[in-house]
Amino acid sequence: MGQSKLIASTRRKPKKRVRLAKSRPRAVTVAPQLEPGAPSDLDLMQGIQAGDADALSQLYDRYNGILKALILRVIHNEAEADDLLQEIFMEIWNQSKNFSSQKGKPLGWMVTLARRRAIDGLRKKQAYARAEERLQNETEQQPDAWVNNATEEEILLSDTRSLIRKVIAGLPPPQQQAIDLAFFKGMSQREIAAKTNTPLGTVKTRLELGLKKIYDGLKELRDEL
Amino acid sequence: MNFSEFQNQARLYVIGALEPEELEEFENARTKFGKKGEDFITKCYALHEAFALSLRPAKASSSIKDRLMAMVKAKKEA
Repeated sequence: MGQSKLIASTRRKPKKRVRLAKSRPRAVTVAPQLEPGAPSDLDLMQGIQAGDADALSQLYDRYNGILKALILRVIHNEAEADDLLQEIFMEIWNQSKNFSSQKGKPLGWMVTLARRRAIDGLRKKQAYARAEERLQNETEQQPDAWVNNATEEEILLSDTRSLIRKVIAGLPPPQQQAIDLAFFKGMSQREIAAKTNTPLGTVKTRLELGLKKIYDGLKELRDEL
Repeated sequence: MNFSEFQNQARLYVIGALEPEELEEFENARTKFGKKGEDFITKCYALHEAFALSLRPAKASSSIKDRLMAMVKAKKEA
């Protein structure tokens, strides 16, 4: 894995672009690698907390693609995903004071927030059936993003992202499916059991084994896990 | 519930996959394990990050950022 920088937190004035203050070697994490000299996610989050709109702009540029992909995975509608993406970044701005670096990384917080909003949106519209139909169509038209998507673009992905994909792709398909339905569709174990015609105990086992494998795989990428 | 079982439940908990009856038992164990348990739950949230990063990034409409930044500016000026 390549070297990246960990930026020491510094106080910044609003409207001033977030810049590096000090750096030291950083351990491997699951977050994407940054260009040398780029502010860390934590720097940007602290900028947002201080009311710096430019920090939000930079965070948007860095993560809009990832969060949009996550939202799309849940709701399967391009226009709705765009609207929700905008709402989520507005919520990041409005709720930034609730972020604490002691409880996790900015990306983790944003993903948790985006997932919750996307699943809430899906439930509110009672669109399970419609989304499921779209998902079915998409599955028939193109390989699943978790299973068979070895494209040129993927080859160009960072080592970290590729490794995460390998860990997930290495799971048996039933475990992938159970985790996919739980994480991206917000389904309970009973709902997954009903949907897949699988005994509840089997669903639980699949989730536990699959999540443990992914978690253990991440441990190899993260020194802090 | 021993700590190994708690770890299994914690990974289900962070993705919202615990059933109501499991949730109660998990919360009791969470209290029992205290900081050690909380620290493990925090680590489990890395799973969220990993799932998102496993997806191929999607292109957002170019107008979204303009609208977002206009909303932020309006909010700051309000």
